[in-house]
Amino acid sequence: MSNPLIDRRTFVKGAGLGAAAIVAGVPAFIPRLGEAADAIKIGVLEPYTGTYAYPGENETIGIQMAIDAWNKRGGVLGRPIEIIKEDEESKPDVAAQKARKLVNQDKCVALIGTVSSGSSLSVQKASADMGVLFFASGGHTDDVTGKNCTWNTFRTCHSTWMEAHATAYTLAKKFGKRFYFITPDYAFGHALQTAFDDVIKQIGGTTVGYDLTPLGTTDFSSYLTKVPAAKPDVVVVLVQGDDYTNCMKQADSFGLLKKFPFGGPQVELEPLYGLPAAARTGYWGIEWSYSSDLALGKGNKAAHQFVADYFAHYLNSQKKPPTARECFGYVSIDRMLAGMAAAKSTDSVKVARAIEGEKFQSIFADGGYYRREDHQLMWPMWVAEIRPNGTPQDPNDLLDVIAKHDPDTIEQSVAEKAKICKMAYPS
Amino acid sequence: MEHVAPELFNGLVLGAFYAIVAIGLSLIMNLTGTINMAHGSFMTLAGYFAFALIARGTNFWFALLVAPLLAVLVAIIVERTMIRPLYGRDPVYSLLLTFGLSLIAEEVFHIVWGANTLPFAPPAALGGTVALGFMNFPTYRLFIVAVLLLVFGLLALFLYRTRFGLRLRAAVQDSEMIAALGTNTQVLYTINFGLGILLAGIAGVLAVGLLGLNPTTGNTLLMPAFVTVIIGGMGSLYGCLVGGVLIGLATSLMTLYVPAASEVVMYILMAIVLTIRPRGLFGEEGLFG
Repeated sequence: MSNPLIDRRTFVKGAGLGAAAIVAGVPAFIPRLGEAADAIKIGVLEPYTGTYAYPGENETIGIQMAIDAWNKRGGVLGRPIEIIKEDEESKPDVAAQKARKLVNQDKCVALIGTVSSGSSLSVQKASADMGVLFFASGGHTDDVTGKNCTWNTFRTCHSTWMEAHATAYTLAKKFGKRFYFITPDYAFGHALQTAFDDVIKQIGGTTVGYDLTPLGTTDFSSYLTKVPAAKPDVVVVLVQGDDYTNCMKQADSFGLLKKFPFGGPQVELEPLYGLPAAARTGYWGIEWSYSSDLALGKGNKAAHQFVADYFAHYLNSQKKPPTARECFGYVSIDRMLAGMAAAKSTDSVKVARAIEGEKFQSIFADGGYYRREDHQLMWPMWVAEIRPNGTPQDPNDLLDVIAKHDPDTIEQSVAEKAKICKMAYPS
Repeated sequence: MEHVAPELFNGLVLGAFYAIVAIGLSLIMNLTGTINMAHGSFMTLAGYFAFALIARGTNFWFALLVAPLLAVLVAIIVERTMIRPLYGRDPVYSLLLTFGLSLIAEEVFHIVWGANTLPFAPPAALGGTVALGFMNFPTYRLFIVAVLLLVFGLLALFLYRTRFGLRLRAAVQDSEMIAALGTNTQVLYTINFGLGILLAGIAGVLAVGLLGLNPTTGNTLLMPAFVTVIIGGMGSLYGCLVGGVLIGLATSLMTLYVPAASEVVMYILMAIVLTIRPRGLFGEEGLFG
């Protein structure tokens, strides 16, 4: 014991100092504990692992930006807002289980999140059972605001119907009416396909090829080798995430991108950044853009401030620009909190009533509203041509926004929706 | 029928891929009884090393050679410090260990390189297509087949024509006797593990030219490789080759006719083989027939 790391005297001194610090700290500490207990807790369910981890991270950043802005203004109903995050892994069963945990155990008053449509639907069901608000920020399948619609769920990103209609007319006009589809075999893909079938019927087009690919397909060669024989005017790619990356990369290696125009209802910056420049091509539906006035709204201060704040303080782990996912997260939680403020309550029914039909301006062009009949956010959608190498000033700026479609022209009408979505509030 | 020829060709490429990963798994499993659940992580690791090398200005060919070797270096450290103490125990121990390692690896990739897919393109020389008469086939896929055949040939030479290969095969049959005859079996185990990972690393770098590079890239290829080992038969080099090609062909042809069943067909194949011939097509008592 000639050279102990901490001798007895040092220990006693240290312990004394520590005790003193604790005692001194208590008076200041107690009220803060009280405040924290009063915080409004909101549960965030996003995929932080797996194929949608990157969009999951980006949605969370958008959510955090809105929370910080509200807290800086003093919170809602005089209470600070706190988020509790859970990884839903893009698995519907995990998502539903974590939703229950966030509400029952962590006492969250509302839920927000999901990227995969399967998870959106399962959280929608779980949250309706528990009677809490749910903002489906990023799952696109029609059913969320269609046949599965519920009073407690609001969906921010566009429905598959909107995506398909916004882009199909553009593609048909540009390239012709013979379509070849590469469709993911799950809720999201099926819904997109249904919407495309509707457009094809309207314009008198034909489907010359149609492949249902299992989610998580790594090798698309078997699908792609069938394309030339079908002689399509345009190849429509509906797969997303890593499947999109694999599909486009392999389409390039088969030389198809030079032979056929490619396009589709939805492309996101996240998977585009994962593609070599040679495989970045085509015309795609997009849901926001950080660089285009057509998407942000000319002179829309809030949107430009949002982009500036992002670059200044919230850069994601890849040091890349904000995507539509930041927009979904931001808009969703911002409207949820605005609803609480307007209802002067966190009661789910009162807040839902305060949100529906309420027009608002936000970080995108023209403004929008969550439709009373189905709780779908009615906002514009855009079509972009891909710039493989960005612009000389900004190599990350891959989307050249060429068209804006108004929501009423691309979404099913209220009358049509009324046949599908029967919304019943608890009495 | 016009579609069948391209599918057969696609299936062969895919099969060669599964085979080379399966051989690595099989080597490690046979000698030490280690079921290496981290095999996919080593593939991904080699992919990231290649990405990092290319980002620092080296060319693809250098990365293809060096990245797998760097993965082997990591593998040797892992084998010496963590897996070695578990030799001789129930295989469940090393299975759990390597499974845990694969989870940790995925998180580390996540932290270091991010969750998003990174762009990784093969060099321009391998970018185009080659006219095969019945179709235009990507040059890069042909290149993959060429590399894998070369690797397979070198491996066969190594195992059957060198003293070291002889010792390795002997050790599989009776490692105690080999040790008693004066061979350092610990070194043998380490080199064998490194060899398995070298194959995984080469497959990993080749794979990211085809797929996106993200923390789960390797793991998506691991399950078909395990099925390949089971179908081909534990302990058989040629079994892995035949098993891989069988799965590749079955998957490709199924994609043509019933895409929804393309994922499940390899498991059906496995069930059939296990029912009729439980030790696998080429599985025998010893290693490599």
